[in-house]
Amino acid sequence: MRIEQGKILVVDDELGMREGIRRILEMYGHNVDTASNGTEGIEKGIANEYDLYFIDLRMPDVEGTQVLREIKLVYPEAICVIVTAYASIETAVETTRLGAYQYIPKPFEPDELQILVNRALERRWYILEARRLREEQERRLLQVAHEQSRMRTIINSLDDGIMVINQEGQVVLFNPGFIKLLNVESKIEVGDKVWQFLPDELNKQLREIFSKKEQVKAIQQEIIIHPPAKLVIMANTTPIIDKGELLGVVSVLRDISELKKIDIMRSQFVDMAAHELKSPLSAVQGYLELVVDKTLGDDPDLYENYLKRSLDRTKSLVNLINDLLNVTRLEAGKVRREINRQDISELLSERLNFMKNDIKEHNLEVRISGTEQLFVDADRIDLQRLFTQVISNAIQYNRENGSITINGSRNGHYIRIDVTDTGIGMRPEDKERLFEDFFRAKNEHTREITGTGLGLTIVKKIVDAYAGKIEIESEYEKGTTFSVFLPASKME
Amino acid sequence: MDKKILMVDDDTDLINIYKPVLEKEGYTVETAYDSVEGLEKFKEFNPPVVVVDLAMEHFDSGFVLCHRIKKLPNTENVRVIIMTSAGHDTGIRFSTDTDEEKNWIKADDYLEKPISPRDLVQYLSEKIFKELED
Repeated sequence: MRIEQGKILVVDDELGMREGIRRILEMYGHNVDTASNGTEGIEKGIANEYDLYFIDLRMPDVEGTQVLREIKLVYPEAICVIVTAYASIETAVETTRLGAYQYIPKPFEPDELQILVNRALERRWYILEARRLREEQERRLLQVAHEQSRMRTIINSLDDGIMVINQEGQVVLFNPGFIKLLNVESKIEVGDKVWQFLPDELNKQLREIFSKKEQVKAIQQEIIIHPPAKLVIMANTTPIIDKGELLGVVSVLRDISELKKIDIMRSQFVDMAAHELKSPLSAVQGYLELVVDKTLGDDPDLYENYLKRSLDRTKSLVNLINDLLNVTRLEAGKVRREINRQDISELLSERLNFMKNDIKEHNLEVRISGTEQLFVDADRIDLQRLFTQVISNAIQYNRENGSITINGSRNGHYIRIDVTDTGIGMRPEDKERLFEDFFRAKNEHTREITGTGLGLTIVKKIVDAYAGKIEIESEYEKGTTFSVFLPASKME
Repeated sequence: MDKKILMVDDDTDLINIYKPVLEKEGYTVETAYDSVEGLEKFKEFNPPVVVVDLAMEHFDSGFVLCHRIKKLPNTENVRVIIMTSAGHDTGIRFSTDTDEEKNWIKADDYLEKPISPRDLVQYLSEKIFKELED
C-alpha cells in the first residue's frame, strides 16, 4: 500500500532542478509545492504537513540540514529526502542522523526519482496508518475511561439504591442511594461482608438466590424500614449469571413510601364513599320496607311522605355519585378542558338564572355588583360547576328571607369574586375541615340540608387547576363569604 | 325491665323510620341527633338500651358517646349498640367479638347499616331485651 497522490514540497534554490523535479512528480499525479530558498522551505514545510519533502543540501541562506532539523522538530515522522550534488559518506551519515529518510545525489534520472518517491510514499502510508490506529486506540481508551466514569456517575445519581454482592458475599458495588435508603452510612465499604447491615427480608432474598443450585429468577418484595423514618421499600434482587455460572446478585431498592401513602388515601376515599353511599340507601330501604309491609297501618298520607323522602334521598344518592365521578375525574386529570375567554358577569347571571327556583324557594334577595369587565381564560363547564357550587352553598346555608351578595373586583393579576350569605355561618373548627372529602358541618342548623360533602372538594380542585385560590370568612350564625381568586384573562 | 330505647342518629330519616316501628311494638323511644344531646337525653331518660350511630358530627363521636355513657355510675348493665354503615366491608375495622374489644370500644354490640326496621325490632326484642330480662 502507498499513497497514490502525494503532497510533496520541493526546496531548492536552483530553478532548473526545482522545476525539473516538479514536472516529473506532477506527471505521476502528485501535488507539488516549491520553495526557492531555505527560509521559505522552513516556512512552507511547517505551515503544512507534507507527505514527502525534497530538500537541497546547499542553499545560500539556510543549509538543507537546518531546514531538515526544523521540519523534523515539528513533524518527527516527516519523510525527507536530501538532494545533493556532493554525495559523500559524511553527508549520508550526517543527514540520516538528523532523521532524513534517504538522500539522492544530483544528477539523477526520472526513473530513479520515481522509484524513490514510490518507496517513500509507501512508507508514508504505513506511518499514517500506524498513526491512525494509534489515535483510534487512544480515542477508544479515552472513551472507555469516560464511559466507566459516566456509568459510575449515573449509578451514583440514581435515587434507587443499588448493591452488587459477589459469590463470596462481599459487596462489590453500592451507590449513595443504597446507603441512604438503608441508613448504613460509614458502616459498609467495598469488600465487606454486609449481611449484618441488611434488613432481614433482603438477607433472605440474597440467601435464597445463593443457596439454590438451579437458576433463581428475580425476587421482588416490599420491605418496611423503621428508623430513622418509616420507609416502604421495594427490593428487587436478581442473580448475575454469566455462562450458566452464578457470579453474584444485584439488589435494587426503590422507595415506594409515597406510592403507598397514595394507595392508602385512595382506599380511605373508597371506604368513605361506601359509607356515604350506604346512608341514603339505608333510609330508602327503611322507608320502602314500611310502605311495602304497611307496617304502620293504613294512613296513605304517611306512606306518601315516606315515598317522597325516599325520592329525595335517591336524588341525593345520584348527586353523590355524580360528585364522586367528578372528583375522581378531576383527580385523574382526565378532564378535557376547552380554554376560552369567559365573561364573569354573563356567567354569573346565567348561573343565578339557573338556580332561580332555589333562590325563590328560600325567599332570598340577590345583589350583584362590580362583575363587569372581568374575564377569565377557562373552560366554561369548570366555571359553571365552580360558581354553581359556591352560590348553591350560599342558598342552602342561608336563612329564610336572607340575602346573597356577589361582588367582583380586580386584584392585581387576579379577579376576585366574593359571595356573601346571611346564613348560619360556621364554627372555626368546621371551617378548618371544610375542604376534606365528605366533610359536612353538622349542627342543629344543618340537619335538614342535604349535600354530598364533596362540593368544596370539587371547587378546590377546579380552582387549583387554574392556579387560583379560595378564601373563606365566616362567623357562626351570622354568615359566610367565599372569595374565589382566578387569574385574569390574558386574551385580548 | 323498662321498654325504653334511646336512639342517637344524625340522619332524621332513620329516626323517622325506626321510632314509630319500635313504638308500635310498645317501646318508648327517645331520640337525639348528636352525642352531646345523646348524653343529656341518656341522663334524663335512663334507658336500658341505647342505639347509637358512629359518624355524627365527628367520625368517632359514636365511640365517644359510648365511653361517656359507660363512665356514668350504674351503667354497667346498660346495653349500648353501635349502628353504623362503617362496617367491616368499608375497611373501618372494629368488632365487639371479644371482651377486650368490648371493653375498649365500650359498646356491647354493633349492627351494620342498612338494617331493615323489621330486623331491628326483632334484634332488640328477641336478643337484647330478652338477655336483659334473663
